[in-house]
Amino acid sequence: MQIGITAVGAYLPALRVDRKAMAREFGWSGLGMPRAGSRAVAGWDEDTLTMAVESARALAATAPDALRIASTSAFYTDRAQSAIAIDALALPRSVRTTDLANSRRAGVTALLDALLAGRDEIVIAAEKRLTQAGSASQLAYGDGAAAVRVGAAGPARLAGYASHTHDLVDRYASVDHPTPYAYEERFVRDIAVAEIIVPVVREACAAAGIEPAQLAHVAVAEPVGGTWAAASRKLKVAAPNHCQAVSEKAGDLGAAMPLFGLGLALAAARPGDHVLVLGFGSGADALVFEVTGAITGTDQFASALDQGFRLASATRFLNLVGALSLDWGMRSEFQQKAQATVIERVGRDMIGFVGGRDSTGNVQFPKSDYPVNPALTRPEKLEDVRLADLEARIVSVTADRLNFTPDPPFDFGLVQFDNGARVLMELTDRPEKGFAVGDAVRMRLRIKSQHRELGTRTYFWKAAPLARPELGEA
Amino acid sequence: MASGFRDKVAIVGMGCTRFGERWDLGADGLMVEAFAEALADAGIERDQIEAAWVGNALDDINVGNSALPAAHALRLNRVPVTRVENMCATGTEALRGAAYAVASGAVDIALAIGVEKLKDTGYGGLPLRTKGVQNDLWMPYGSAPGTFAQLAGAYAARHGIDAGDLKRAMAHVSWKSHQNGVHSPKAHLQKAVDIETILKAPLIADPLGLFDCCGVSDGAACAIVTTPEIAKALGKGNPVTIKAIQLCASNGWELQYGEWDGASVPNTRVAAGRAYAEAGIHDPRQSIDMTEVHDCFSITELVIMEDLGLSEEGRAPADILDGRYDRDGAIPCQLDGGLKCFGHPVGASGLRMAYEVYNQLQGRAGERQRGKVDVGLTHNLGGAPFNSVAAVAIFGRLD
Repeated sequence: MQIGITAVGAYLPALRVDRKAMAREFGWSGLGMPRAGSRAVAGWDEDTLTMAVESARALAATAPDALRIASTSAFYTDRAQSAIAIDALALPRSVRTTDLANSRRAGVTALLDALLAGRDEIVIAAEKRLTQAGSASQLAYGDGAAAVRVGAAGPARLAGYASHTHDLVDRYASVDHPTPYAYEERFVRDIAVAEIIVPVVREACAAAGIEPAQLAHVAVAEPVGGTWAAASRKLKVAAPNHCQAVSEKAGDLGAAMPLFGLGLALAAARPGDHVLVLGFGSGADALVFEVTGAITGTDQFASALDQGFRLASATRFLNLVGALSLDWGMRSEFQQKAQATVIERVGRDMIGFVGGRDSTGNVQFPKSDYPVNPALTRPEKLEDVRLADLEARIVSVTADRLNFTPDPPFDFGLVQFDNGARVLMELTDRPEKGFAVGDAVRMRLRIKSQHRELGTRTYFWKAAPLARPELGEA
Repeated sequence: MASGFRDKVAIVGMGCTRFGERWDLGADGLMVEAFAEALADAGIERDQIEAAWVGNALDDINVGNSALPAAHALRLNRVPVTRVENMCATGTEALRGAAYAVASGAVDIALAIGVEKLKDTGYGGLPLRTKGVQNDLWMPYGSAPGTFAQLAGAYAARHGIDAGDLKRAMAHVSWKSHQNGVHSPKAHLQKAVDIETILKAPLIADPLGLFDCCGVSDGAACAIVTTPEIAKALGKGNPVTIKAIQLCASNGWELQYGEWDGASVPNTRVAAGRAYAEAGIHDPRQSIDMTEVHDCFSITELVIMEDLGLSEEGRAPADILDGRYDRDGAIPCQLDGGLKCFGHPVGASGLRMAYEVYNQLQGRAGERQRGKVDVGLTHNLGGAPFNSVAAVAIFGRLD
């Protein structure tokens, strides 16, 4: 059976910070930082789980056999992201789930494992990596996610692959040093090219029955800039590296980087093209695909890169990436503890945003024994209705500047769905002019609350503008 | 059909502390201060109280839960004491409980006391609290101004009114209450503020600025209620009586069902309609001489004027700007400064409103006295416009 990629999905947070402007803020220090392009910055209420789910929504309309999530920056270390994602995507609990971590390579490794398993699977990679103020990685990294669905008769067939394991310590992060500790770039580049990338690409191409020069598009996650340029010279590959555009516009997405680049490569590929994706970290996995037709979802990648909002404030940027600890005052001391018993009882309806339809057809959220519909006077069983994928409009709204939020103001209001459901919701991805009564909105999975001392967070859906503006050249 | 409260319960004594930042007193001291005034006013001894209802909304801030804080503070003589809590409508809820006891004949004399010690939070504004472990999974934690601010945009949308015009009407609401607060010696804020200052104040929750928001205060207020017969025996020739107390609690319709447009507080309309019927009032604009309403925010007072039927639909901004609810207007509102300036110690506010009406009905309001007052209304609102408990009470004289 021919297993291949059937669909792809992408998600980037809305905010973009201009590297040059931020580097200028640190100019006094003389610290070296990248100055070209911009990086994607997750909102305070986004993490690897929320971005992973957002990237996979369009390709999770039907249940796969399995779902894998790869990340080096998952919030929970003993609570599977993939299990939470199953509920957020309203997928059945029979879906097999796996989390992969501990290497930037995990995204491509997960994809390879899924392809080799030969089943219908969703593979997601997402990153929101902690970085230290003043470090080059703080501006070089970006936050985001990409998803790939594989299955029978996918129009991007796995033609060949190769894996090399090599404990090259180009950089590391650890429990005791959660921000990256990076070694000299020339050392990393030389070893990566000669010992890892060139051999693994040759081997993968050989397995696919092609010469490297026949690659039409590549998505290579580089450990440092210039790595692919050096490797491609040796390999005689002229194909563009689509990860370069990701680096320039969104930043190094870690485990999600090669999958995001793969989405761009597949968007550009024509039937008959061979496409390479290479995940780097503690070695490399190189996969060569033969494209036989169009793949669903490839258009999401370019639009994700090109749409969003500019983030001009350096202190807001540092606050969002966790590099600045602000004194938010006593109002910020209130914290919510989510009880496992409640999550067990209603959590799937909450994170799945599942309401109920009554016998008249009206939908409500949350469900209740007595329907909210005034026409009904007795308890009845409501039929599940997922609201997450529906548009709605704002009935009432405010920008609350008193309530504590890590990124003021706190926008919230009543949101009305056409099916009758009305929900008091937070709003997110605030447009420049704010929100207004009558605005159309869509639903986004976000962090609802976090308990910093207990190290827990809850997730719920927030209303966001239907579309994001084009970033333009500015 | 139930006959209701009308003239079955008299108020023979009331007390109210100075509201504000009462660094000098805890909740117990505040209750003692209000209670002492009420006892003296009623001309009874403490141990004549046969039952008590204590209203307190935020028990974890100084006061403590249950009946015991009031029973201890006042050393009540081992009588039944019930703590009630209905968010910001708690004060009226306490009065309702005590009045029920008297009206039912269960007791002859009952006490309703409300208290709050908000300034022990250590910061401004009301504190955030859990909404229950299940609701916490989805319901936003908006601030109080955040919830009420949403009335403004929805009201502007319903009536096609310009946001700037609405903001000016809202500013007049606050301006008027500050004018009144000057004459209110127990008020938290006793300083007049000009319109420009109000309009230019920093935003708290769009479009509410600082002066669109009421004071967050410490304070206590109480009422001693009995039968009209006992009131007369106590020397109250024509006692103040309760004409109506009605309460309406949301059942989720506003929050979950897609009919309400967010531009009013439907529960106020329901409670007011019931209260007018209970009191025998057919035309509130003609019958009601004054109101003390739940002006937690300027926009709240504005929509309340329509919800109570005192302004026609969509006419509240014009009526406000015309001075209809000013001190010398047709139906003055917040003669004591209201929540805005008298302050808002949550559990005490409903009783504070009744205290002003009670004094106005007896011509005892000093500089604030509004001539002859025959009928006064209090409106006390708990929660948020989309999930509220609305209480409307009407007071007058027995004869």
